[in-house]
Amino acid sequence: MSQQSDSVDGPLNWFPALMGWILPGLGQVLLGHRQRGFRAMGGILGIFLAGVLVGGVDCVDRREDALWFYAQAGAGPVAFAADWANSALLKTGRVGRLIPSPPSNPRLPPPQVTSFKTVTMSNEVGTLFCFTAGLMNVVVILDALRRQPANPKGWTA
Amino acid sequence: MSDLVAWLPFLQPITALGNAWWLLMVPLVFGVAVVHRAVQDQSMDGYWGRVIRLTVKANAVLGLLALAIYLFVYFVIPLLRAD
Repeated sequence: MSQQSDSVDGPLNWFPALMGWILPGLGQVLLGHRQRGFRAMGGILGIFLAGVLVGGVDCVDRREDALWFYAQAGAGPVAFAADWANSALLKTGRVGRLIPSPPSNPRLPPPQVTSFKTVTMSNEVGTLFCFTAGLMNVVVILDALRRQPANPKGWTA
Repeated sequence: MSDLVAWLPFLQPITALGNAWWLLMVPLVFGVAVVHRAVQDQSMDGYWGRVIRLTVKANAVLGLLALAIYLFVYFVIPLLRAD
């Protein structure tokens, strides 16, 4: 059975927690728990990048899959970068081709979608990976918020 | 150019997985175990051993759940009478 973490009641570490959103695990690193932070960072970024690798950047979409994105955004700017890549590269047709898709409203012209958009299990699994990475980083951020600094003087920037 | 290559990493989904997509459960659970143990454990001694044990246990439980659902759908439900 594993030991419990060393979180204690005390002042909340707001800055390390914010840094933990900017880069997963950075909050723990600033608090002096370097191994812990780097391992959490590797885990979260690994899950997120694996998701984008499996499902493509289309699995992070702020407009079309907003509910998924709310959780994916927990992983930090990397989620916004993937969404930007999706918008700037795929949805503009700079990579792949834009092809007409069946219109939801027959009076409107058919919307254009990228030829890289799929409904495969790979895309869904990729979405789930990025979603999980975002939620896990929320856990890591909450841990950074409450964790006692390794240095008694407090966290170091 | 994108038409000339079979797969553009990070831009196109992997299609080569076919019906083996469910095997991606293993790396996902491993990643969750890495983060969970990093946050939860007080000491980092023996960290990777605990990560591997958690990964194996979680995958085993998920596999058993999948087996139970398979047996229920293919063997129990057909036994139910429709009348």
